[in-house]
Amino acid sequence: MKKFVLFIFVLPLLIYSQTKINVNHKYQELKCKTCHSCDIPTKEKPCLIECPRDKMVSVTQKPEDGPEILTINKIKFENDLYKPVTFTHRLHAEMSDMAGGCKMCHHYNPPGKIIGCIDCHQIERNRIDISKPDLKGAYHQQCMNCHRQWSGKVECESCHELNSSQKSENQKTINSSKKMHPKIEVPAIIKYETPKTKGNLVLFLHNEHIKTFSLDCQNCHSNESCNKCHYKFNPKPEKLKSTLEKHLKCSNCHNTKSNCSFCHSNNPQREFNHFARTGFDISNYHVKLTCQRCHIEKGKFTGLVSDCSSCHGVWSKSNFKHTVVGLQLDETHNEFDCTECHQEKNYKRPGCKNCHEDKTYPKEKPGKLVKK
Amino acid sequence: MANQTRRNFIKTSALITSATIGLTNKSKAAPKYILSEDRMGVLVDTTVCIGCRKCEWACKVEHNLPTSAIETYDDRSVFNEKRRPNDKALTVVNEYPNDYSDKFPINVKVQCMHCDKPACLSACIVGAFSKHENGAVTWDTSKCIGCRYCMVACPFQIPAFEFEKALKPDIKKCDFCYEQRTSKGKLPACVEICPVEAITFGRREDLIKTARQKIKIYPNRYINRIFGEYEVGGTSWLYLASKEFEKLDFPKLGKDPAPGVSEAIQHGIFAYFVPPVALYALLGGIMWINKNKKSKEKEQEK
Ligand code: SF4
Ligand code: SF4
Ligand code: SF4
Repeated sequence: MKKFVLFIFVLPLLIYSQTKINVNHKYQELKCKTCHSCDIPTKEKPCLIECPRDKMVSVTQKPEDGPEILTINKIKFENDLYKPVTFTHRLHAEMSDMAGGCKMCHHYNPPGKIIGCIDCHQIERNRIDISKPDLKGAYHQQCMNCHRQWSGKVECESCHELNSSQKSENQKTINSSKKMHPKIEVPAIIKYETPKTKGNLVLFLHNEHIKTFSLDCQNCHSNESCNKCHYKFNPKPEKLKSTLEKHLKCSNCHNTKSNCSFCHSNNPQREFNHFARTGFDISNYHVKLTCQRCHIEKGKFTGLVSDCSSCHGVWSKSNFKHTVVGLQLDETHNEFDCTECHQEKNYKRPGCKNCHEDKTYPKEKPGKLVKK
Repeated sequence: MANQTRRNFIKTSALITSATIGLTNKSKAAPKYILSEDRMGVLVDTTVCIGCRKCEWACKVEHNLPTSAIETYDDRSVFNEKRRPNDKALTVVNEYPNDYSDKFPINVKVQCMHCDKPACLSACIVGAFSKHENGAVTWDTSKCIGCRYCMVACPFQIPAFEFEKALKPDIKKCDFCYEQRTSKGKLPACVEICPVEAITFGRREDLIKTARQKIKIYPNRYINRIFGEYEVGGTSWLYLASKEFEKLDFPKLGKDPAPGVSEAIQHGIFAYFVPPVALYALLGGIMWINKNKKSKEKEQEK
């Protein structure tokens, strides 16, 4: 009987997940065994591994992909004091979008199937396996984590109505479904004034970072409290953090122990200049590439060599069209191996001295100029 | 007379032994001391508790104690002072500052710990206390003579006395909801109502396993100690916390059962080389048998 009831509750979720979310996990780099325990999982018998799974893959969906409103009425007792909660799922998803995304509540949000609380947390509190909280505990722990920060209160009636109350649930639903979290404005540059005397300013190129490193909000902003923006209940500034804490986010990629002047300066530069930072000029041929084309590992920006061959392999006439640099080689020069003219590893513009004594180059080009 | 006492002693010892190894002892009033492997307990995770005090309300309702409406329990000004369980509230929740975030104060629920080696049970000279198979430590009102030894003996200062009642005052403490709930396999009232399941009911062994697991997974969240695992010989209620228990008003206790006053009482009365728990259980047993015998004799006389 219990199983049947559970099934009834899980069914809509299942159907929902099958229909709405169109993420084909067949093409994701996932091993079947990460989620399924049997060799051939089927829709009927997916043999999903018990949560929490060690190596779960989570994806982020848009708030509008999820349901607008959920009525949380899965736990029912005869003598319930409170009415079920009308949960504005979309609104909450919008709010968490800038913090941890779906993962804020769905610890794991694997592609394909949405895992609801009920899939892992048992309804029955009096149970054998107490390694994770029961459903009621799981729900409330998630809610209270933010609500306590938000209002500092824990009273039930901010979400539940008393069973004895006359107000109808519907009214609340209608009111809250209209609410929407305002779109969060993404700052382009954030200016930090620090107590440091030498280099008191840090210009954090926020947009630049997002673009350059193709970051999602959640990569840096996870588990952030509403209070970060809403000072409504806490106008006091946060307690002074230690130097380590202040640099925590930056130190994920930057070495913050030394080389302070990399970020700190009295008149900071605005733009990111690859040549100035690294000595490798990308302005000619590499400007259109996303950073990830070369810096494959997210957030790792060191250790690349500037030899062309390290990415392009060895060039030869067969795999390099010389016209891309704007010069169509004449017949004579077309005969040579690349390295006969380009003797340096970075294939920079060669001189003619090796063969020509009259040094007419660049007046007389070894070919015809064409459009790049 | 001497013979009879001796026979009674033997009879009683047999009874206690049978009770101790968990054989059925049908009589409800008999004092028991059972330390079952499967005894239950509650794990209180003070990092999860939100201080909503619903447990206080549920406990009062369950025990027919007067209480105000549930909404009044939202009033957090009660946390301005530290409270102790008493005859009107068998459990109370207190609040302590969290050094890392003023948004998440630390709330600690206090009630009887249901010790594995209960000092109250040892101290009670009429054997009114029992440690049941499911871990609950309860007392028999009809036997209590109001000596209040248990109050003095308890390392957690739990048993309270109904001083206001002139006629037949009684000892009051958390009874693990034994009669109405846990003896029938149901959850204690406080555990049932807790919205965040900060208090988890389960086999004591499983609770310790779960607590260890939590400490392992979240080393920054918890200090590496389960209060009640070893304190005074172990308790059925166990606690996890984010800071030193002593800073949360937990008493500083060793691993030895029944320290301090209770030991003084026991040793003062009996200088035998027998564990006080057994001795007291024995003594309680004798008194009970004698009482029974007398009432039987009376019945026979009638
Ligand atoms: S906490 Fe006190 S009253 Fe409760 S079992 Fe232990 S000694 Fe007895
Ligand atoms: S176990 Fe029962 S008696 Fe003890 S605190 Fe909880 S509700 Fe009260
Ligand atoms: S009901 Fe649970 S969360 Fe509320 S005060 Fe009691 S133990 Fe803490």
